[in-house]
Amino acid sequence: MIRDITIGQYYPVDSPIHRLDPRTKLIGTLTFIISLFLFKSIAGYLVATAFLVTVIRLSKVPFKFMVRGLKAILLILIIAMLFNVLLIRDGNVLFDKWFIRITDQGLYTAAFMAVRLTYLVIGSSVMTLTTTPNDLTDGLESVLGPLKKIHIPVHEIAMMMSIALRFIPILLEETDKIMKAQIARGADFENGNLIQKAKNMVPLLVPLFISAFRRADDLAMAMEARCYHGGEGRTKMKPLHYGKNDAGAFVFLLIYLAAILAAKQFWIIV
Amino acid sequence: MSVLKVEHVNYIYGAETAYEIQALKDVSLEIPKGQFVGLIGHTGSGKSTLIQHLNGLIRATSGHIYFQGQDIYGAHYNMKELRSQVGLVFQYPEHQLFEIDVLSDVCYGPKNQGLTREEAEKRAREALRMVGVSEEFYGHSPFELSGGQKRRVAIAGVLAMKPEVLILDEPTAGLDPKGRDDILDQIAKLHQESGLTVILVSHSMEDIAKYVDRIIVMNQGAVMFDAAPKEVFRHYKELEQVGLAAPQVTYIMHRLKERGMDVDTDATTVEEAKEAIVSAWKKKHDSAGNRCENV
Repeated sequence: MIRDITIGQYYPVDSPIHRLDPRTKLIGTLTFIISLFLFKSIAGYLVATAFLVTVIRLSKVPFKFMVRGLKAILLILIIAMLFNVLLIRDGNVLFDKWFIRITDQGLYTAAFMAVRLTYLVIGSSVMTLTTTPNDLTDGLESVLGPLKKIHIPVHEIAMMMSIALRFIPILLEETDKIMKAQIARGADFENGNLIQKAKNMVPLLVPLFISAFRRADDLAMAMEARCYHGGEGRTKMKPLHYGKNDAGAFVFLLIYLAAILAAKQFWIIV
Repeated sequence: MSVLKVEHVNYIYGAETAYEIQALKDVSLEIPKGQFVGLIGHTGSGKSTLIQHLNGLIRATSGHIYFQGQDIYGAHYNMKELRSQVGLVFQYPEHQLFEIDVLSDVCYGPKNQGLTREEAEKRAREALRMVGVSEEFYGHSPFELSGGQKRRVAIAGVLAMKPEVLILDEPTAGLDPKGRDDILDQIAKLHQESGLTVILVSHSMEDIAKYVDRIIVMNQGAVMFDAAPKEVFRHYKELEQVGLAAPQVTYIMHRLKERGMDVDTDATTVEEAKEAIVSAWKKKHDSAGNRCENV
C-alpha cells in the first residue's frame, strides 16, 4: 500500500526523456504546470493531453506506473470536486433539493479541475520517474543559482532536498519492515475506529522515528568525516551541460506553449 | 506429522513493474515438529522471503502452505492465530522496540493475543527469563540497553506469544563473537528444553553447523540442498560456487585426506575433528608398529 507513492521514485530505463538535462526537465515541468492554469477551453485540454501523452510515450515508463501516484491524491481530488459541484451556483440548474443545487457550470468546473490536478500529478511524476533524485537536486541547485545573490542558501536547500528524496525509499522500506515485525507480534493496523487506529500506530511510529534519527546521525557523521562544509568551492563529479536533445526539448516546449496560448484565444470556436 | 508444509510455492516481487524479481521458485518443504532447522543462503537467495510466507506476511503468487495440516490460504483461515503460532523474529529485531520499559514491550505480543495485563506480564517474565535478561532490567527503557540485550528483549517479545514454531532471521547479525555464541546457545537450549520447532536463518555455516539437525540451502530462490549438515557439507565445492562456505573444519579434513591421512571428512566441529585426527593418527601408527614387528 505504501509502495503506491511514485513521487520520488526513479524508473530505470533508457529513453530520450531520461537523457535530458535535469534543468530542462525542471523548467519543462514547471512550464507545463503553469500552462495548465492558463486556459479554460476544451481545445486547451486537448493540447495539454497531446503534450503529456507524447512525453509519456517518449519516456518509455509504463503508464500504469504513473497512475499509481494518483492513488495518493484521490481523496483530495474527490473533496475538491465535491466542493466545486456543491458550491458553484451559477449556470443552468440541473438538480435542486434541500440545500443541494447542482449546476452545469459546477460540473464543468469540477471536471476540469479534476483533469488539471491529475495532469499536474502525472506531469510531476514523469519528471521524478525519469530523473534520479541526485540529478534532480543538481538541476534545482543550478536553476535556482541566481538566488544565491540575495543570500538564499540554495546549495543547502538542494542538499537537504536530495537527502530527503534519497531517504524516501529507505524509510518506506523501513516502515514496511517494522510494520511486518509488529504484525508478526499480533499488531492490527487496519481495524478499529479512528482513535484505536491512531493508538495502534504508536508501535510503528516510535521505532520509525528512532531509526530516522539514527540514520540522520550516521549520515551527518559520514559527511563530516569527508570534510563536507557546504557549497562553497565544491566541485561536481558530473557537471551539468545542455546537449542537442535539450535544444530540441525547448523548441518542443515553446511550440506547446504557443499552442496553449492559441487555444486560449480560440476557445469560443471549439 | 509435519508442523509446516510448503508446496510448490512461487513468489514474484514487484509484479508488473521494472523491478520484477522472481524471489521464490517452486519451493517445497516439510518441517516436522521439534526439528531444529538451519536455513542458509547468500544475500538475495530468497530465505527471508520464504520465512515471511510461513506466517502469512507475504502471500505466495502460487502454491500452498499448510500449518498443522490446514491450508493457510483457505477461505476462513485465521491469519492472526497463525501469526501467534508461528513466531517470526526479524533481522535486527531490536528496531521494533517501542515501549517505555522492557517488560511492557515484551507484553505487547501477548496483549494483542487478548490476554489480560497480569497474564501477559507472567508470560513476559517467563520469556525474558528464557532469553537470559535479568530482572533488574525489566523497568529500564529498552533503548538504554546494549545491542545484545536489546536483541534478547526483542526475541522475548516473540517468545512471550508462546509460538509452536520459532523462526529467527539472522539473529546474530551485527553482534560480537561472544554475543553471537550466547544467543545461539540460548536458542539451542530453548529448543532442547521446550521442544520448540526452530528455524534459524543464517548465511554462515560456521554459526549453525553445531546446532541444527538439518540444513536447507537456498540459491536464487530455489532449494539447492536439504539434508543433515554432514551431508550438505560434502558438497562444499558446490556451496563455494554459490557464495557460501562449509565450516573451516571441513576444509582442513578434506585437505588432510588429500595428503593421504585417512580421516573422517564428515567432522564439522573442532571437537569432532580432534577425535577424527587422533584416531586416524593412532591407526596409522598402529599399522606402522605392526609392520615393524613383522620385520
